[in-house]
Amino acid sequence: MTFSLKKFLRPTLAALLLASSLLPLRVAAQGLDPAALLKPPTDIWPTYNGDYSGRRHSTLDQINDSNVRSLTLAWAFRIRGSVIKSTPLVVNGILYFTTPDNVWAVDARYGHQIWHYHRASEGDHIGQRGVAIYKDYLFFETPDAHLVSLNAKDGTVRWDVPLADGKLGYFATMAPLVIRDHVIAGVSGDVTDIPGFLVSIDPETGAVQWRWNTQPKPGEPGSETWPKDSDAIRHGGGMTWMTGTYDPALNLLYWGTGNPNPVLAGDGRPGDNLFTCTIVALNPDTGKLVWYFQPSPHDVHDWDAVQTPVLFDADFKGKHRKLLAQASRNGFFFVLDRETGEHLVTEPFIEQTWASGVDKRGRPIAKPEATPTPDGALVSPGSDGSTNWMAPSFDPQTGLFFVNARRLFSVYYNTVTTKAEGWGGRDRILWANSTIRALDYRTGKVVWNHEIGDGESIAGILTTAGRLLFTADNSGNLLALNPANGETLWHLNMGGELLASPMTYQLDGRQYVMLPVDNVLYAFALPQK
Amino acid sequence: MRNLSALLLLGAAFLLASLDLHSQAQGPAQPTPEQRAAIDRGRTQFQQACGFCHGPDATGARGPDLVRSALVAHDVNADLIGEVIRNGRPDKGMPALPLTAAQISDISAFLHARSKEAVESSGVPSDYPFEKLLTGNADKGRTYFEGAGGCGKCHSPTGDLAGIAHKYNSIELQAHILYPDQKPVLATVTLPTGEQLCGTVSHIDDFTVGIRVGDKNGWYRSFPRGKVKVELKDPLQAHRELLPKISQTQMHDLFAYLYSLK
Repeated sequence: MTFSLKKFLRPTLAALLLASSLLPLRVAAQGLDPAALLKPPTDIWPTYNGDYSGRRHSTLDQINDSNVRSLTLAWAFRIRGSVIKSTPLVVNGILYFTTPDNVWAVDARYGHQIWHYHRASEGDHIGQRGVAIYKDYLFFETPDAHLVSLNAKDGTVRWDVPLADGKLGYFATMAPLVIRDHVIAGVSGDVTDIPGFLVSIDPETGAVQWRWNTQPKPGEPGSETWPKDSDAIRHGGGMTWMTGTYDPALNLLYWGTGNPNPVLAGDGRPGDNLFTCTIVALNPDTGKLVWYFQPSPHDVHDWDAVQTPVLFDADFKGKHRKLLAQASRNGFFFVLDRETGEHLVTEPFIEQTWASGVDKRGRPIAKPEATPTPDGALVSPGSDGSTNWMAPSFDPQTGLFFVNARRLFSVYYNTVTTKAEGWGGRDRILWANSTIRALDYRTGKVVWNHEIGDGESIAGILTTAGRLLFTADNSGNLLALNPANGETLWHLNMGGELLASPMTYQLDGRQYVMLPVDNVLYAFALPQK
Repeated sequence: MRNLSALLLLGAAFLLASLDLHSQAQGPAQPTPEQRAAIDRGRTQFQQACGFCHGPDATGARGPDLVRSALVAHDVNADLIGEVIRNGRPDKGMPALPLTAAQISDISAFLHARSKEAVESSGVPSDYPFEKLLTGNADKGRTYFEGAGGCGKCHSPTGDLAGIAHKYNSIELQAHILYPDQKPVLATVTLPTGEQLCGTVSHIDDFTVGIRVGDKNGWYRSFPRGKVKVELKDPLQAHRELLPKISQTQMHDLFAYLYSLK
């Protein structure tokens, strides 16, 4: 028997080349190469939204419309002291999830704790959306507005840097976004008058790479939308509450910003108040603004435009276009060309009473009588919005955009007696109910409607290639709906609420759907043979 | 982007330094009479010594706004504020002020109270004056009540609504006029046998309905929605239909009318 190196190498090399082309782009043995974020394999969920597009759509179809009725519990993981509002990441078989002050690493196959990190802090503990991962490092934002980097292996701290001064009322809830060697981090806080910003941090050192301020400096573009001869622009607002999205081909980062301050008292800040309540496209390497669109000019209702700017390519009036869609907190669905920011669609996705029409730039026109007043103004939606931070989804199989929408009525009061600071008023919520809606992205028209009951739901949405839409109703039921028509395919009364946005992953040939309820992670799967 | 229950911990940074941190998590703490007196003395002192540059309410004039000042936010027991008052900021044109430690302490109490007011402006005030809401016309409100509003179909100014203005504070009265507290929804459940059960709804979703048979004190029974026919009667349905229709003027007129029933 002779050994031919040449004969051996040829097929082996070919096999290796083939294998490398099929293998996911994961390079680091344990962590995550940021290049994997460009096309995540199905055994990981490496960002808040699963990928850069914000579609919350998985190509997994092991669990599908033909077998979802046999869905069963694979494992559960309970924590104490807080409900779960985060979307877990899964990388290398390890699941990372958070609550304010806390990060857990859990075995994604069996639900056993690997490590737990706790960091007590002052500041607003309203919620925590999750971590970001770069190589072997995690990035976590805290209620006192710090960014903490942890070793993903054991939860030990690499560094801890302040993003903003917590004593001024800044806090942080969002899951950062990794783009190559940038960790993009936003901040929160609207109870005090403080300016919002987005910051890019070096994943190795924690150093600031760039900072984009929501309010332009005097003289810069956008500053003309604030009054001159007043300090109004310095009262700020425009927080960067939620994780943005990214188009690698265009190298554009998309982010939504929150309300201006004082929140309900806008008399002192006449003008559009750019770049608050705005969708911005930034260069992720420099933080420079490329284009913007403002869903709520001169907001006086706390209608942050921070809902996920969802990216997809699709036909629009006979042309294949790169689109960006947002179902915004003000009750309107917007579609833009994400290359140029050109406005394409503005349509209410739920009944609203505040806008009289749409201007030529595609922005809703506020009725004067919807402005908060000392004697109260009845408006829909209330300040919690027609939707909020819960994830929407775009399903390429049906071409539909899904949103958890609310009918919500409030009386808004402007309670200011001196110069306004802070909120300057408040709305008293009267009544709300919620519905899961499918929208035609070409028109914004409602294709189907699935009522989920009285109250303000904050359940997010996941769609999968298994022709399933996962969410929950307001009565304690987890739901799997048919994304084509909204019919219920599966439900389970969990005795609690889905307060987060679902996600999915597949390990060792088994697909898991993660549906947190209150303070417990529930991983559902098909029964094992 | 927040809900009412979430304001509490943030307030800790702005509350008076002498208050215990743990009590703050329970809700906005009210100042003691001694603290109230110190804040009042501090306001007078501030307006005399500082108001010309910083504005009488500390929201800024020639000098900066001190309500959203980083220095005030970090100050503990007048340590930072006192230093600035005693030494001035010559580089920024602020002179040193010859105030006593007690005066500085009062000014500090006033500034922290102003920051706290700004933070608490995000809450629905419980002591909001009725006068602020009385901008409508009671006669027109009565016409609306009896006519277009359809209120008289279910309510009576001498019956269930007599003295209603005494029952709530101003904003809660406004809210209850528009949307009263939830009342039991009535259900008629028709079983496959044709038997009918009436009661109040205890639970309803797409999958099950649970009622208390008879009234809210009756025994509970539940049924799968797919096997029974359910007819609901929500006593608040008319209010749900009113909310998108009533105008701001009609709302204020109605408030003026119902306020007059006290």
